[in-house]
Amino acid sequence: MENKDKPLSFMEQVQAIPGGEAVSVCFSCGTCVSRCLIQQKVEKAYNPRRMMKMVMMDLRESAFDSPTTWLCSSCELCYPACPQEIHISGVINAVKELAIEKGKRSPLKTAEVNTKTCVACGLCVEVCPYKAVHLVEKNIPNRGKNMTIAEVDNEHCMACGLCSSVCRSNSIELTEDCTDENVIDSLRNWLTEQSVKVTA
Amino acid sequence: MVDAARHPKIDVRTYTQVERVEGFVGNFKVQLREKARYVIADRCNGCGDCAKVCPIEVPNRFELDLAPRKAAYVAMSQSVPLLYTIDQEACIHCYKCVEACGALDAIDFSQEDKIVWEDIGAIVVATGFNHFDPSVIPEYGYNQYPNVITAMEMERLNNSAGPTVGNLIRPSDGENPKRLAIINCVGSRDKRFNPWCSNFCCMYAIKNAVLLKQMYPEIELSIYYIDIRTPSKGYEEFYERAREMGIKFIQGRPSLITEDKKSHNLFVHSEDITLGLVTEYEYDMVMLNQAAVPQPDVDSVSSVLNIQQSPGGWFMEYHPKLRPLDTPTDGIFIAGACQGPKDIPASVASGSATASRAGRILHSDEWEIEPIIAQVWEDRCVSADGKKCGICAKACPYNAITVEVGTAAQVTTAKCHGCGGCVAECPHNAITQLHYTDAQILAQIRALLADKPEEKIFAFRCHWCSYGGADMAGTSHFEYSANERGVRVMCSARMDTDFIYEAYRLGAGAVLYSGCHPQDCHYITGQLVGASRAERLQKIFDKMGMSPGRFRIEWISAAEGQKYANVIDEMQQTIDEIGKEKLLAEIESMKPEMEKRARRMYEVPDVTDASDYSDKMKIAMTLEVVDIGK
Ligand SMILES: Cc1cc2nc3c(=O)[nH]c(=O)nc-3n(C[C@H](O)[C@H](O)[C@H](O)COP(=O)(O)OP(=O)(O)OC[C@H]3O[C@@H](n4cnc5c(N)ncnc54)[C@H](O)[C@@H]3O)c2cc1C
Ligand code: SF4
Ligand code: SF4
Repeated sequence: MENKDKPLSFMEQVQAIPGGEAVSVCFSCGTCVSRCLIQQKVEKAYNPRRMMKMVMMDLRESAFDSPTTWLCSSCELCYPACPQEIHISGVINAVKELAIEKGKRSPLKTAEVNTKTCVACGLCVEVCPYKAVHLVEKNIPNRGKNMTIAEVDNEHCMACGLCSSVCRSNSIELTEDCTDENVIDSLRNWLTEQSVKVTA
Repeated sequence: MVDAARHPKIDVRTYTQVERVEGFVGNFKVQLREKARYVIADRCNGCGDCAKVCPIEVPNRFELDLAPRKAAYVAMSQSVPLLYTIDQEACIHCYKCVEACGALDAIDFSQEDKIVWEDIGAIVVATGFNHFDPSVIPEYGYNQYPNVITAMEMERLNNSAGPTVGNLIRPSDGENPKRLAIINCVGSRDKRFNPWCSNFCCMYAIKNAVLLKQMYPEIELSIYYIDIRTPSKGYEEFYERAREMGIKFIQGRPSLITEDKKSHNLFVHSEDITLGLVTEYEYDMVMLNQAAVPQPDVDSVSSVLNIQQSPGGWFMEYHPKLRPLDTPTDGIFIAGACQGPKDIPASVASGSATASRAGRILHSDEWEIEPIIAQVWEDRCVSADGKKCGICAKACPYNAITVEVGTAAQVTTAKCHGCGGCVAECPHNAITQLHYTDAQILAQIRALLADKPEEKIFAFRCHWCSYGGADMAGTSHFEYSANERGVRVMCSARMDTDFIYEAYRLGAGAVLYSGCHPQDCHYITGQLVGASRAERLQKIFDKMGMSPGRFRIEWISAAEGQKYANVIDEMQQTIDEIGKEKLLAEIESMKPEMEKRARRMYEVPDVTDASDYSDKMKIAMTLEVVDIGK
């Protein structure tokens, strides 16, 4: 007989979140892994197949600490290739929701809003593919009380930079290597290199 | 094959199509179309002089288009009987073949298809399988990259009778490949195409690898796989041998094949899951082990023979464990890969077994069937009065009933399996089922509900599943309400609406309508007939305002004893929650409606009268054997 009071296993919790249902039918073929560009270009330890297995084997902590949980950009390259028709990013996002619930934080260097210049036009909110930017009311020192302003939800921001590319007042951008200035500099360097090559 | 052709009792008909099948076990009449070959069979000696002079070349299907054939051709050199055929679509009518044939005079361009009818006692279907076309998987580049080939093409390329006389060459440049990748599960175990395992590709991957390693000891061979399946005698040992020979096994399903445009070499991208590494290895050639799929004409074969298909299109067996080679139609058997992917040993075993099953029929003068067949009371059938009806024929899963306006419906006894669907469906009570007559079942209902009916949960159970489930609940000593009473019929298709109305008219507290899960039904589609009737009833009772839960539909297998017990307990709880007073009031208020609806039940003859009535109709009630007419 089923015990109704038994706490849900990690897998059952993942399956209860829309998108996570099909995790249990993964037969570990690895198609998604060799399909994945994040695995190949960004992070070798990224592995959706292992994530499926961790969920099935109740390895909650390992799953929460795995880069796979935080780096999936939902590009959906793997989904049409999976022979078990598992919506893989759906499963990973379900794990991520549970991780956030448990207080885990994304290791990504996410976008930041310059509260001094943001005019709350909402363009960034519209374009963000991860629904990670919202307009909120806040007190801004030296600017005023209950100001409407953009705010980034760090746990859902995937640092794609789309927001900063549309912002008309340069008020939202990525940090470190990916600030507007750094991107423009490296683009300029690359172009110079190309023209040197062409003229040489 | 040659032995079969020589056997005095085997008549091999090639180039012949089965177009119609009529009759029943032991008495089939089969219409064959013997297609015109434009060659007279008695005269052709198979010398092939016609093909030598024929100037027309077309792709050779047997060689998977890797080689040409002439318009005057045999399918392959070992064809039995060795008879040439003129392909009229390719022929330019130069008549060089006629000249070459000379005095034999075997070529006859005026030949036409011949239709013949044969009396047949039993039929074995062994139409095999087809091959999945991997070009629909764009990631693998088949038909796009010349050096990506299928397993079937490999079978021809490494065959000494094949187009390259057994020399394995790359289609792009004719060189022998030094590095070959074999990819398993191409279109198999892939829900986008075919969810099943194709059964033999793991083994032929290993077979081909071993063969190639023997022929070309220097060749590097890698087999990509999800799981290697070797579940037969000696198979695991063969796999072991392949590993000893140095064949590489890479666990991982490739996600992509790319090609170097210049060399036409191929790169296979795959995770090696045992290492947890994404790999990209270069090969000269890639072989795709394409899925086994049903033949493209399964639907027409099914409808000609009235046999069913399992999901996916494989022919369906009567019972997967107990009658794996019989179809639900008596006298028709299935052998080999048409029933589901099978390798050669399994196909041969099933072929021999079906032959002996068929032999039983050919060697008996009489054929025993269960005595629970349906029987038409001709004076009640409206078809006899010239009215269009045919409801019974629609309900029959076995096509055992023929209805022609002007005469009463006719049951072919040898085809009837006794589900009782037609009996319950007939709106004129013109069919009865021997041993399950309306009168007998009504008598049981009346007896079981004689005392305090409002306390009773009345269960209709089918013989094969829900009755078995109730039995299982009993033998497993699961406790459940003692207020359950029930009758057994063969199939939920027999559960007449009138039985249900009658149970309520008599005051039953609750009624359970139960049977097999649809996939378990022992009468092909009987459960579907029962289920749609049950749903209709549910709607009627909802409209009448019946308390929810007093009518319950449940599909319970013979193994689900616990479910049976739970359902009965829940129904008991429903009755208890309604409360006796309210329940009695509801029963009383619905009685007139139930009575009205069940009224035609009263016209059926009583138990004792029923047999007299049948005798009067001059139909034998003790029918247990049918003469199969030999
Ligand atoms: C590449 C490859 C390699 C294989 N290697 C091996 C191996 O090494 N060992 C092994 O055990 N198994 C092997 N197999 C499996 C083997 O092919 C099957 O087990 C076997 O062919 C099944 O036999 P069958 O007679 O049931 O069907 P089939 O071999 O498919 O024969 C069916 C026959 O019925 C005919 N037919 C079809 N429809 C009709 C119709 N409507 N009317 C009249 N005739 C019809 C067809 O023309 C065909 O001749 C291999 C399969 C593949 C694809
Ligand atoms: S592709 Fe699908 S089945 Fe294969 S490992 Fe990834 S999730 Fe699992
Ligand atoms: S037999 Fe092997 S290769 Fe073929 S579908 Fe099954 S697992 Fe895949």
